[in-house]
Formats: sequence, structure tokens, C-alpha cells
Amino acid sequence: MSRTERRRARQAKATKGRKRGKGKPSRAPVKAAPVPVVKKTDYTAGSYPATTVLAAGDRHLVSRFSYGTTPELIAAVNAAGGALPWFEAQIADAGSTEDESLADWWPDLHLSAGEIHLRNQLRLRYDFKVMWDYSRRLLLRRGGTRLQVREVMTEFWENHFHVPVDRSFYLRVRRPYGDLMRANAFSSFRTLLPAAIGHPAMLIYLDNATSTKTHPNENLARELLELHTVGVGNFTEDDVKNAARLLTGWTVRTSSPYDAYLDQAQHHVGSVKILGFTHANRAGEGIAATAAFLDYLARHPATAQRVARKLATTFVSDTPSQALVDELARVYLANDTATVPVLRAMIASNEFKGAVGAKLRDTNQDLVATLRTLGVGFQRPAAVDDKSGANELNGAANLMGLGPQAWPAPNGVPQVSGAWASPGRTMASMKLHWLVATRSWPTLRVTHPTPASWMPAATMTFRDLVDHLARRLHGRASTTALLQAACLATGLTPTSTLTRNSSAANAAMPPLLAMFLDHPDHLHR
Amino acid sequence: MTLNSTAATIAPGGADCSCSEFLSVSRRGLLRSAALVGAVTTIGSSVVTMSTGGAFAAAPARSVVVVLSLRGAADGLSLVVPHGDPAYAAARPTIAVPRGSLLGADAYFGMHPAMAPLMPLWNAGKLAAVHATGLPAPNRSHFSAMEQLEDADPGSAERIGWLNRLLGQDTETSAVQGLAMGAMIPTSLQGAESSLSMMSLAEVGITGNDSSNKRLNSMALMWGNSPTAYGAGVRSAISASTDLKTAQALPNRSSTYPDSDLGRALADVARTLRADVGVTAVTVDSGDWDMHSDLGTVSAGWMARNATDLAGAIAAFFADLEGVADKVTLVTISEFGRRVQENGSRGLDHGWGNVMLVAGAGVKGGKYYAKWPGLTNSLDADLQVTTDYRSVLSEIVTSRMGASRAAVFPGFSPQTVGVMAGA
Repeated sequence: MSRTERRRARQAKATKGRKRGKGKPSRAPVKAAPVPVVKKTDYTAGSYPATTVLAAGDRHLVSRFSYGTTPELIAAVNAAGGALPWFEAQIADAGSTEDESLADWWPDLHLSAGEIHLRNQLRLRYDFKVMWDYSRRLLLRRGGTRLQVREVMTEFWENHFHVPVDRSFYLRVRRPYGDLMRANAFSSFRTLLPAAIGHPAMLIYLDNATSTKTHPNENLARELLELHTVGVGNFTEDDVKNAARLLTGWTVRTSSPYDAYLDQAQHHVGSVKILGFTHANRAGEGIAATAAFLDYLARHPATAQRVARKLATTFVSDTPSQALVDELARVYLANDTATVPVLRAMIASNEFKGAVGAKLRDTNQDLVATLRTLGVGFQRPAAVDDKSGANELNGAANLMGLGPQAWPAPNGVPQVSGAWASPGRTMASMKLHWLVATRSWPTLRVTHPTPASWMPAATMTFRDLVDHLARRLHGRASTTALLQAACLATGLTPTSTLTRNSSAANAAMPPLLAMFLDHPDHLHR
Repeated sequence: MTLNSTAATIAPGGADCSCSEFLSVSRRGLLRSAALVGAVTTIGSSVVTMSTGGAFAAAPARSVVVVLSLRGAADGLSLVVPHGDPAYAAARPTIAVPRGSLLGADAYFGMHPAMAPLMPLWNAGKLAAVHATGLPAPNRSHFSAMEQLEDADPGSAERIGWLNRLLGQDTETSAVQGLAMGAMIPTSLQGAESSLSMMSLAEVGITGNDSSNKRLNSMALMWGNSPTAYGAGVRSAISASTDLKTAQALPNRSSTYPDSDLGRALADVARTLRADVGVTAVTVDSGDWDMHSDLGTVSAGWMARNATDLAGAIAAFFADLEGVADKVTLVTISEFGRRVQENGSRGLDHGWGNVMLVAGAGVKGGKYYAKWPGLTNSLDADLQVTTDYRSVLSEIVTSRMGASRAAVFPGFSPQTVGVMAGA
């Protein structure tokens, strides 16, 4: 093939990538000699209906708002009477405390900020190691909680108001910041915004804690406007400067309990104008003026657009229509910035229903979904920072490119597939899938399902086994193409007969499971 | 169509598996997959070979540009200090770099003392600094400025980076023409030309694939025809896992670099470039330059630490390149510079102009290049940009890569900087 032809093929490919989801892509004109057919194998998909699956629409909703379907989740959805009632029940359970004990294995996560700081100073255990515990438990909560929707929304808000878990200065106050996001997973933006911006972790991370009225530090003010609320293009440099002035004095006590407060001596006094917000901001009015400003921002139409677009990009598709964003923004403003009505409007939209499988899991989501879907069991570590599987979770996430909540910039992890589709990422996922499928990782204080446990019958044909596993791991019946991939991965044929615990079955299972994990149906949600 | 030495065979490997009709089902997908990464051929009736390391890949690059991004916006006024401008020291009572400590100083500029590892390159005329560079108008958003800087095509809504346009200019066809160190492909490399990203050279490969290629074959079936972004990533990964085997076989000299993410990344880049497999454009990120608070003193703290790491890693990189050193030009870039005046947190807020370091092949080094605008010591004063950053990059790509400036930087009329020989 000539270089020109190859380039054309590439461009056709690139164009398709952009048009994904908008009808059938055109075929690239690639010529090749016909390959003679020598022998026919029947790749008709097998059938193992005893392994139940959800209806396609239910699977779609559950897949978007969970970290992977499991038999338990399917049972819960069925018990609730379908995905929508399950979704509503999950919201109704928002205040549940049942997760307090879930993977509550790291005692340092119960320490106060003062205790963490003291132990850091005494080098008993560094504060960044406490954040390792935080990351480990976060991943286990995502994988293990019954309250999947709450955890998904916690991740969404914790990413929107991103404060990385791997920097210094504020780590002693970082765990409660995540708890705050979980407690407000279904609240309103008017509630979330002041809670996040006024939190010691945020005030320190974006340098407001050291901002003074003579030399305002613009970092938090700029990101408040650009990232957290109205978005780039909707404010001026003067707005940044005035917002920075208004936020001066909001700082964090430098001793226990390291809480946030307004230092009146460092607070700029005098009227401010930011976008359409004005306030006299006279002496003593700093707290009220800041609260009024944040409330103004929360209810700003540009904030509504930004939050609506981020929700739609996260849960519908990489390129939500402006019509959907407009509708969600309208619902957001009509409901006083409450989250739940927006979610309800989103999942009721045709655009949501039509976006099946359109979202790529990022590396953390792949890590959790892989362990959760396979049913890898974790036990409490035997000792702090030992090599238990639970203690290796954060390191595994790092090796795949990024730990949970460790994105190095205040904009949080990207929500679009393109960011998570680099060759390096695909290699990292292939490695993870192989290690878990072959039970090579994790190893200590974990339980992997045995090869025999993947066979629901003592003897079955390969095509039926593939159908069972497609139902169990992908939540849907198998296809011809999947059966072909399974044959390639294992060297078996559709009619190969496998006997539970035979050496042939045991040898086939790891590469077969890896194939299921490498498959688009696992990597997309 | 070229017949290549077999690198990876896209054919069912299992003896039991009836393969040929499988291929007839998916042949088009495999061919399209292969079209993205190398050559395609058929042998006999049933074998499709996706060449990933054959004649194309072996073609060495004529020149290589390494773009080192100082993410978070480095303070160029600390790295290359305009000591001759009286406003500099006045604006920075606690964080100014003292004139007496500067290295390689001329009457107006000098380098931060932590840049000492770079002095041999400087003295050898292999390193230059171009000051007061940046975007044509201020953009103080990290994220928007990075997009603008790396897209470098203000008239177009297409998201194609300038390095991707550069890759489209040459006749190289290696699957690893573009190489991004890190988990993601930056904007500069995004576009139709495929690039590889890697966390490290050691991580490149298809885990669990053995000589029977079962895993590779199933991956190719599942993703070879996929129009998704992930499909393209898989295809590049499969290709690169073969292309970079020669690089992986070379000695790893990371022990001669600073023990840092940047040091490890540049060690892997040097090793890859030594293998001479056609890598033409490389991006490397050095993060954590967003020093709003506690920038530190000349000898300790955030800036001193970062500058030490940066200088040490660049110096080790050029020492490590051996036979390919005469091909490689490195340039540093930041999304914007920082304010002239320090803030109340002993740090610096978002500004505009910055310095670019240019090192290696073709550089007319050992000197500072600047149309100096003069600094103002006021609360929100910037270093004004007098040289569009594209003027510097233009000289590199036209002099070293033989690329068309109009194609790489559409609609841009450069100023003459004179930092590159033959530009």
C-alpha cells in the first residue's frame, strides 16, 4: 500500500472516531487479495440462558451508574423491579451509614488532622502514607459498596472539585473532604460549592490560605470561575482579580483542628463587582459577601451549562448535544441547582438511552471493574503497608498511569474517551487484565475465583461456556465475533468439550478471562 | 505492498482453531488495523502478516525534536534571570535570585545557579535561551493556554497538534514517529498521524502474549476494526511493542540521570532514540511548576529543586545520546510565564511571557536571545511577549526537519530569532 493510501486510511479512521455514534461509519477503501476459504467452522454463538442478564436498557443504566455489574447487582435490580426503581432506591439510601464499616481497615483514616500532623512530624507515619490508605479504601468502596450510584456521584463531585491526594500541606485535612463529597453526592450545587471552596483542603491546595489583601493570590479565584463554576470565556481578568480580593482572608488555622476561617485582618474590604455580582463588602461583611458570591455563582446560567455538560459528558457521551445540555441546565436552574432532578432528566432522555456502550472506562474504573466483575476478594491487611492485595491497590492504579484522585492539576481527570485511549493506556490495561485473569496479581490476603468456579456445569461445550461468561462478565449473551475471539485466545474450537477441573479447562480459563476483560464490552460502560 | 520480515502474525495460532474462514470474516478489519501501523501482506491462503518492525520502521529519522513541557507554567524569570533590569529584584523582595549567584551571565541575563549541570552544554555553544516568548496574547488559564499553545493553529476548529502536522510533513513511516512519555497523548501530538505513548520503555509490550500470538490475535480481532479511540490505541500499542524491542535491548543508563520522573523519562527517550527506529517528535512533561506559593530561595525550596532536576536531566540526556546526538534538538516550553511581582504567599501568579531553552543539534548556543520589553514592578505586571513561541519552533522545524512552516504553523508569519543554524 502506498503512503498516500495509508494516509487516507488513517484519515478515514480519524474521521470515524469523531463521528462515532452518529450512524454507520463508512468503510475505508482498503484493497487486498481475496483469501480463499479452505474449511468452515460454525461460529454460531452458544446459549446458556440459565445465567441471567438484565434487559438491555436496564443494563445500560446500571452500567453507567455502577463500577461493573455483578450477580449481586443484577439480583438487586431485579428485586427492585428494574433499573429505574433500583436507581431511585439508591438515591433514597443516600444517607445510609452501612459503608462506615466497609473496608474500614486503615486505622489512620480515623485520626484527626492534628493527630495526623503530629505523627507526620514525629515520623511515626507520614501524612502521604495516610493518603495511600485513603486511595486504597476509595477503590475498595467503589468496588464493594452496595450503594453504587452514591459512590459514582461521589467520584463525580470529588473530581469536579478536585484536590489531589498526593501533594503536601493539606493532606491532614484531605480525608474529610472526600467524605464531604459523599455526603453531598445527591444534594445541590448551592450546597456543594461553598462546602468545597471553603474547605481547608481546597483553601490550601489553591493557595487561598496564604492570600492577603495587599497581595491577593489569584489561584483559587481563577479556578473557581474557570473550573468550578462559569467556565473559560465567561469571565474577565478583572473578575478574577475581584474574586481574589473577595476571597482574601479565607485561611486555615495553622494548629489543630486546622479548620477554615475568615481572617478579617487579611480580608479585603470594599465593594466588589464580579460578573453580575456586586457587594459593598464593608468591614465585618466578609463572610456574608463570600456566601452571597458563591450562591450567585452556583445559580449562574453559565454554571448551569457547565455542570450540565459535565454530567452529560460523564454519563451520556463524549459529545452530548447542546439540546440535552440546555435541557439539563434548565432543570438545574428550575430546581434550585439540585442534582437529582438533573440526573432524572438525563437518564430519561432519548440521548442517554441511545448512548449504550459509548463511554470508555478510565484506568481507575477499569481496575475496579476488573476486580469487581471477576469477584476478587480482599481481606484486611495483616499489617500497615504490608504487601496485602488491599495495600497494593493504590500502587497498581499508579502503575496504570494514575492513582484515584491523583490527577496533578485542578481540572480533575478528563471525562472523554480520547484521553484514556493512548497506546500506553491500552498496554497498561492489557497488563492488568492478564495479571488478574492469571491470578498473578493481587496475591496476598486475596481470594481469586478458581478456574473451576467459572464453569456452571461439569461438562460443557466451549461455545456454551463462552455464552455463560459473556452473560456473567459482560451482562449479555455472546455473539459470533466474541466466540471467534475466544477461540483465538485459547486455541479451542466452538465444539471443544471442557470438563470442570480438567487440565484443558484450567489452562484455557486465564487467557479466556483475559479476552473478556480486553473486550470492548468490558472496557466501555 | 511490501513483504516484511514477520514481526507479529495476525493469524489464529491454535492448532484446533479453524482459521481461514475466520480471516475471511474479519480480513478487512485486520487489513485496516494493519494499515494504521505498517505493511500488510498475505502469504498462501490464510496468513495475514501485520508488519510492525520491518523496513519502514527501521528507517532512521533525519532529525528529532524533543519538546519538554514545563507544566503548570514555569517562572522563566527565575530560570533565566534578567539581572540587568532593575525592576526584577525590586519586584521580588523574598524570592529574587541574587545577581552574584548567576551562571553564564552576560550584562543583562544569567542562569539560576541550580542550572549548573547545563553549563558544559552552554559553554560548548549547544544551549541557548530565548526570552520574552509566549502566546501572542495573554491566556492565564493553564488548560486553555496549553490547548492553544499545542494546537498552534488558531484559525482551525480541528483538534490537530503542531507536532502531528509536523509528522505529516516528512516521509517517515515508522509507527513510533511520534512518542509521548506519559499516560496520555498531549494535544501537540493529537491528530491523524499515530503516535505512541508510554509510561516507560519497560512497560511497552503485550503482556501474556507468547510465540503463538494467541492474545495478540484475539486483540486484533476485537479491536482491529474498531472505530473507537481505544481501538486506535490498541493498534499502535501492538505495533510499538515490536518496534521498540531494539530499544528495549539497549542498556538502560537511567542511573546517570537525576532520580526523578523527568530523569527516568528522558533516559527512556535517549534509549529509544539510540535505537534509531524512526522516532521524529517526542513530548516529555515535567510537571509541578505552578508556584503560587513558597517558591523558595535560591538554594532551597521548590524552584531550586525543580531547576536542579530539569538541568540535570537535560544534561544527562545529551550525554546519553551518543551517535544520534547530532540529530536531536530539545526545546522547553510552558503554557505561560508568571507575574513579575511576587504575591503575599512568596509565590507568583499567572503571567504571560516566558523563556524557552533550546539545546542540541543546530542550536547557535551559548547566548541569550531576547527583544527585551523591560519589566514593570506593579501588582499585576507581566513579562510582555516580544517573540511568539512559534517563531522559535519554526526555526527548529524548518532548519532541522525540512518541514514547511506554513503547514506546521498555518497562517503564521514568524519573526527572525536566529537561534538555529540554517534557519
